Amino acid sequence: MKLFIKFDINTICSLFLKQKLEEQNMNFTTLGFGEIELDENLSVEALETLKNDLSPFGFEVVENQKSVLVQKIKDAIIELVYMDDNNNFKSSVFLAEKLNHSYGYLSNVFSEVTYSSIENFIILQKIERAKQLMLVNEMSLTEIAFLLNYSSVAHLSTQFKNTTGITPSAFQRIIKKRRENLK
Amino acid sequence: MKWIPKFNSSNSLRVIFVIAVFILLFLSSIAYKHNQDLNESSKLVMHTYEINIQLERLMSAIKDAETGQRGYIITRNGRFLTPYIYSRDKVNTSFITLKKLTADNPKQQKNLQKLFGLITQRFTSFENCFKYSNPQTYDKRKLDNHMFGGRILMDNIRFQVDEMNDIEKRYQQKRLKIYDQEISLSPVFSISLFLTALIFIILSYRQISKDIKRLKIFNKKLLISSRLMAESEVIGKFSTWQWDLDLNKIDYSDNQYRLLGFKPNAFVPEKDTFLNFVHPDDKEAVAKSMEGIVNKKQLPFIYYKITLPNNEIRYFKSTGKLLTDQQGSQILLGINFDITDEHLLNIELQERNRELEKSNQELASFNHVASHDLQEPLRKIQTFISRVSDADKAVLSDSAKDYISKIEVSAKRMRVLIDDLLLFSRTNTTKKEFIKSNLNELLENAKSELTEIIDEKKATITVSKLPKLDVIPYQIEQLFINLIGNSLKYSKPDIRPEIDIVTEKVSSKDYPDLLEPNSKKFYKITFSDNGMGFDSQFKETIFILFQRLHSKTDYPGTGIGLAICKKIVENHKGHITADSILGKGSVFTVFLPE
Amino acid sequence: MQKNALHILLADDDEDDRLFFKDAFEEVRVQTKVTFVHDGLQLMEHLMQPDVKLPDILFLDLNMPKKTGKECLIEIKKTEHLKNIIIAIYSTSSSEEDIEDTFIEGANIYIKKPSDFNTLKKIINEVVTLNWHYHTSGLNRDNFLLRLK
Repeated sequence: MKLFIKFDINTICSLFLKQKLEEQNMNFTTLGFGEIELDENLSVEALETLKNDLSPFGFEVVENQKSVLVQKIKDAIIELVYMDDNNNFKSSVFLAEKLNHSYGYLSNVFSEVTYSSIENFIILQKIERAKQLMLVNEMSLTEIAFLLNYSSVAHLSTQFKNTTGITPSAFQRIIKKRRENLK
Repeated sequence: MKWIPKFNSSNSLRVIFVIAVFILLFLSSIAYKHNQDLNESSKLVMHTYEINIQLERLMSAIKDAETGQRGYIITRNGRFLTPYIYSRDKVNTSFITLKKLTADNPKQQKNLQKLFGLITQRFTSFENCFKYSNPQTYDKRKLDNHMFGGRILMDNIRFQVDEMNDIEKRYQQKRLKIYDQEISLSPVFSISLFLTALIFIILSYRQISKDIKRLKIFNKKLLISSRLMAESEVIGKFSTWQWDLDLNKIDYSDNQYRLLGFKPNAFVPEKDTFLNFVHPDDKEAVAKSMEGIVNKKQLPFIYYKITLPNNEIRYFKSTGKLLTDQQGSQILLGINFDITDEHLLNIELQERNRELEKSNQELASFNHVASHDLQEPLRKIQTFISRVSDADKAVLSDSAKDYISKIEVSAKRMRVLIDDLLLFSRTNTTKKEFIKSNLNELLENAKSELTEIIDEKKATITVSKLPKLDVIPYQIEQLFINLIGNSLKYSKPDIRPEIDIVTEKVSSKDYPDLLEPNSKKFYKITFSDNGMGFDSQFKETIFILFQRLHSKTDYPGTGIGLAICKKIVENHKGHITADSILGKGSVFTVFLPE
Repeated sequence: MQKNALHILLADDDEDDRLFFKDAFEEVRVQTKVTFVHDGLQLMEHLMQPDVKLPDILFLDLNMPKKTGKECLIEIKKTEHLKNIIIAIYSTSSSEEDIEDTFIEGANIYIKKPSDFNTLKKIINEVVTLNWHYHTSGLNRDNFLLRLK
């Protein structure tokens, strides 16, 4: 015997999800397909439990949450790098305190989402700021190295070269010529 | 023209001669005057004597008359009267003579007048004596009176005559005295003048003979140098010509005729003679510059062709100059060089240069293209191998695995070789843009390029402050990479590499063997290490492309690194040297101009 | 990490290189859609189509027939709606002159074609990651210069 069943997958999913969330005593509103807003922030552990509960049924928490966290990490890093007096902070401590997560967790989430490390991102941002200081403020490498808390100009130069593949002076030269070209 | 002697003496000689002539003229005029004076004085003496004689005659005539009178009075013989009668005539004659003689002397005239008066009185007294002595008219008293009066008159006459004689004598004496004075002075004066003139003449004679001697010497020199000139014209293949613009006379040197294919003096050159030899292509230009020379007074070198009578073509180079001599006449001097040999050689050289440049360029582009295009297939070989080895090695036989790893090693080695070759060819071909750069920064870049091997070998690099210089930044960075890399590569296995980089500012003249001694400032940067070093006999050869001191199994390398260093330093007009003691370490010294 | 696949365009006349590239992207963690063109002319035609989806990153070989990569680069940077494309030069040349030249002309990334597949994957990963940072982290794209060996 063959039966032909017509079903609405959307309705099923919504109902199933509703049921599961209610099981965990969570208040939520459905924003649309595949997107729900929880009334309160879940702890990482709670989120992890929810993920594990849902996964056997083919549900996967789209880790928007992580992206949000990554964005927060990025914002914190930018804040740190652009702080003019940042020598007192160790970046790991700063991030952990600021975002209320262990540094290890932040680091994991970050590399999971971005395929790069927090350390790399800090360096990227520092070099970015160095570029700005170089071009906008026309500061010398010595001044920049001091401001960005590098142990020496050589250290800054090396990091610049390692990050961008070119030396600071070549970078300055290229941008200068590029601007001349545009004129 | 330095070699023409200056005969300074000619002017002074002239002065000496003029003075001497004047002295002689003066002397002869003095002599003449003396002669005149002598004549005068002898005339004067004669004159005095004549007056004296005439006076004596006068006296004797009167005396004759007196004697005759006496005789007649005593004897009454008429024969005694004859002297008396004659004496009367004699007196008159003498008197006339005296009058003439004393014409110039009024005082004597006056005395003569007086004498004449006395004589007339005396003759009157004679007549009276005759009268009163005549027996018919004899009067003794009157005769006595007259006779006595006659006597007194006679005394007066004698007195008068004596006085006149005295006057003449005194006059003569006075004259003679003056004359004597003059005469006695002149000999000393004349002689001294004469001697002076003589000295002058002797001096000038000496001067003249000296000048003649010098003139002879200079003539000889002139002769030699003109011969030398003629010789050197022949040897040096050049010729000279002169054109006297005032006389419009043109002289060719002997060699000028020869250069034009003639024997010396084979023809008489004229203004346009030379132009006839000039090749038609150049005729206009040469004619124009010949005219220009008169205005500009100088002719820059002109280059043109000459056609010889035998139709051979020679290449000439000429210059000229307008000279104005002391007399103000303008002379055009010209020099022609026959530069045919040089010209042909030059053309050949240029041709070869062009060829060389072309082949150099070809070589460079060949090198570049070859190594560039070789890269592509090699890269693919390597990439494909990397894919094979990743995935499929497990299924391969051991020997196939071995072959693949051998291919991999060879390909890697080829990659290094091509990269180095490319680097080398690029140090020649890329545009050489000099930028003021901080060498410290470039060294830092070099160090960061070598971080891995520095860390691996735990090397220490100490650097004294490097200067800022106008350099090609990549190349200097490459230079540092190669030199430091070289030291790291040839370090001793059991010792941590230590590299010392020291900078010093030096003057090129302190290194005459290496640098041009033009007192330019250089930066001397020395790289010394404590590595294995090399035998110092190889200190030149190690900079040669593909020269290697070690087997490639011990030390992989291409033998290009130091050649690149040399090339880079040369691009910067600097110099690089190497020195080493085997087993102690090497020193590479780079000189870069400030 | 990205809702939509990263759109990659590669202009390279060499078939093998296109193959390596395709394989490498397939092995990269990021979801990508790779399109190929074979020469400069084709590239410009492709970009000038009216409703074309512009690539997030354009990989550009310098040494191409018909129109060289450098000519394309200059043309793209002169075209208003194309000039913001992130351009990665993908070339065999490692001449400093070429590198600096293309940077000055507006290239963001210079990649020397590696001679090892794993390196290629590593490089592509790096490029994609950094590109994403530039997209999402408020980095100034004018200052985006990266040289990879």
